[in-house]
Amino acid sequence: MASIDIANIQKSYGIHPVLHDVDLKIGDGEFVVLVGPSGCGKSTLLRMIAGLESVTSGEIRIAGRRVNELAPKDRDIAMVFQSYALYPHMSVAKNMSYSLRLRKTAKEKIASIVSSAAAKLGLDPLLERRPRALSGGQRQRVAMGRAIVREPKAFLFDEPLSNLDARLREQMRAEIKKLHKDLGATSIYVTHDQIEAMTLADRIVAMNGGFVQQVGSPLDLYDRPANLFVAGFIGSPGMNFFEGTYLNGTAPRFETEGGVVIPAQPHPALTDGARATLGIRPEHVEIGAEAPDALKATVDLVEPTGFGIILHLSFGRSGFKAFTNDRRFLNASGSLPVRLPVERLHFFNAAGNRV
Amino acid sequence: MKRIADGAAPYLYSAPALILIVTVMLVPLVLGVSYAFRDIQLLNPFSGAYVGLDHFRALSEDQAFYRALRNTLWWTGASVLLQFVFGLILALLLDKPFYGRGLAQALVFLPWAVPSFLAGLNWAWLFNPVVGPLPHWLFGLGIMSGPSNILSDPQLAMWGPIVANVWWGIPFFAITLLAALQAIPRDLYEAASIDGAGPVQRFLSITLPFLAPTIAITILLRTVWISNFADLIIVMTNGGPADRTQIVASYIFTQAFKRLDFGYASAIALVLLALLLAYSMLIVILRQWLLSKD
Repeated sequence: MASIDIANIQKSYGIHPVLHDVDLKIGDGEFVVLVGPSGCGKSTLLRMIAGLESVTSGEIRIAGRRVNELAPKDRDIAMVFQSYALYPHMSVAKNMSYSLRLRKTAKEKIASIVSSAAAKLGLDPLLERRPRALSGGQRQRVAMGRAIVREPKAFLFDEPLSNLDARLREQMRAEIKKLHKDLGATSIYVTHDQIEAMTLADRIVAMNGGFVQQVGSPLDLYDRPANLFVAGFIGSPGMNFFEGTYLNGTAPRFETEGGVVIPAQPHPALTDGARATLGIRPEHVEIGAEAPDALKATVDLVEPTGFGIILHLSFGRSGFKAFTNDRRFLNASGSLPVRLPVERLHFFNAAGNRV
Repeated sequence: MKRIADGAAPYLYSAPALILIVTVMLVPLVLGVSYAFRDIQLLNPFSGAYVGLDHFRALSEDQAFYRALRNTLWWTGASVLLQFVFGLILALLLDKPFYGRGLAQALVFLPWAVPSFLAGLNWAWLFNPVVGPLPHWLFGLGIMSGPSNILSDPQLAMWGPIVANVWWGIPFFAITLLAALQAIPRDLYEAASIDGAGPVQRFLSITLPFLAPTIAITILLRTVWISNFADLIIVMTNGGPADRTQIVASYIFTQAFKRLDFGYASAIALVLLALLLAYSMLIVILRQWLLSKD
């Protein structure tokens, strides 16, 4: 167990920078998730911590020790790969004990460590099998077993669930969370799946284009996204955005480009007539409310998900989505009264940052 | 009538291919095998009689044949081993990215494209102190006591064709092993390096197990080819000096085309065929046994 400090890390391939000035302090036992779209640099950052990629500038410290120049094997970390990277010519037990055998651990000790890890992961009956005789979920478990037998300073996960089907992913997600609770090991987890990020993380690091966009608890990112990228990335279906102008005065309001006027709370950071983007999550849009400040929206499409209903609505030409559990709207058509509660509105300035 | 036609249809369809295979492959093979039991000498118009196992009896007392058999082992073993070792080293070097790798890979393949007779002549000249530099270099390095031709030295002559053969055959191993190397998933190496394996341990626990099937099959193939491969020896030493470089394949060539004794040559060829078949079976059984162990 150890803390990991990342200070002013940069990475370039030739003249192409892929990571800009990343600063991150990961506490002992913390579960941090790096999340972002493909190519945002999250995997590169993880691989730099693992020692599989060189550091262009900046410093990485594990348990207070600078590791920039250390080979992966000397960093005392374990990594779970997206492809599992199991050794195909070794049995499950041999796969799990490989690192211990390299360290010349005593045979009896290896046997007891492997069997306790196997028990924890439900791998007991599979120990003598080869990886190719295992299902995807079992391989994933072996990859985790290989990581935990070492009792490393930190666990690194590189999109470990991406190759599994949806059902199994859900199950393994819960198992990883349970495992982390049992072991309390410092973990860094890379994913592009925001549900995994939300459910697993103590803290989420949202990344885009090589920059850290926001660091915070899952609910922080959900409730108070720092910018348009985070607002759009976290949450499913994604947040609705309207571009327009903020108007101050006796009744603060927001006028969209389509001319729809949405009542708002006073925003000291926005001047009268400032260009801004208004955001609201689909689950916060109130539909069917007969209130004096209700707006008329046209129903374009109804998507039932079973759990709820996603309604595709529009104000004139600007479309947006609403999510409801109310089955009355299964056959909605024509136009609906819609309310956008002022306390649920997010405002972003012209630069895309939260105000 | 229709039933017969229907039943014959598959055979009729495959007949053209079968007739071709039988005429160009089976007939010469059977003819060649039959020579081994007949007295066939090109310069003797009265030869051709059936002699039973006479040739094999003569062969069992033929000291030149036993020497050729030993030379074949030596020639094949040394050539295959050196080709494999250098081919593997070359493949490992070419597996790492570097500037100009594409060109290097193309150049490595070049010796393979040189006709074997040309390669043999070239190397014979390189070893010739009158026109070639090698004896002078070896003398200069103190390896040889004088700039003489190793091809005429009974103790060293075999090294001449072996060196030429190694030069000529490295590309085969390099290219096939390189292809196998590049099929190894990179993340296995990454996982191993995180697990604590150094370069040597990674080579032993990942590279070698992945290459093993390719190594087995290429060594099997090359062993059979090289033990049958008389071109370089015929061109460079013609089996000499004093039969010191005579291998079974070149001995067959000498018997058939120098002494024009086709019957005896066929008998030797039959023995070589049996030996190589036995060797191949051994390797195939070994491979099956290794696979079934999994």
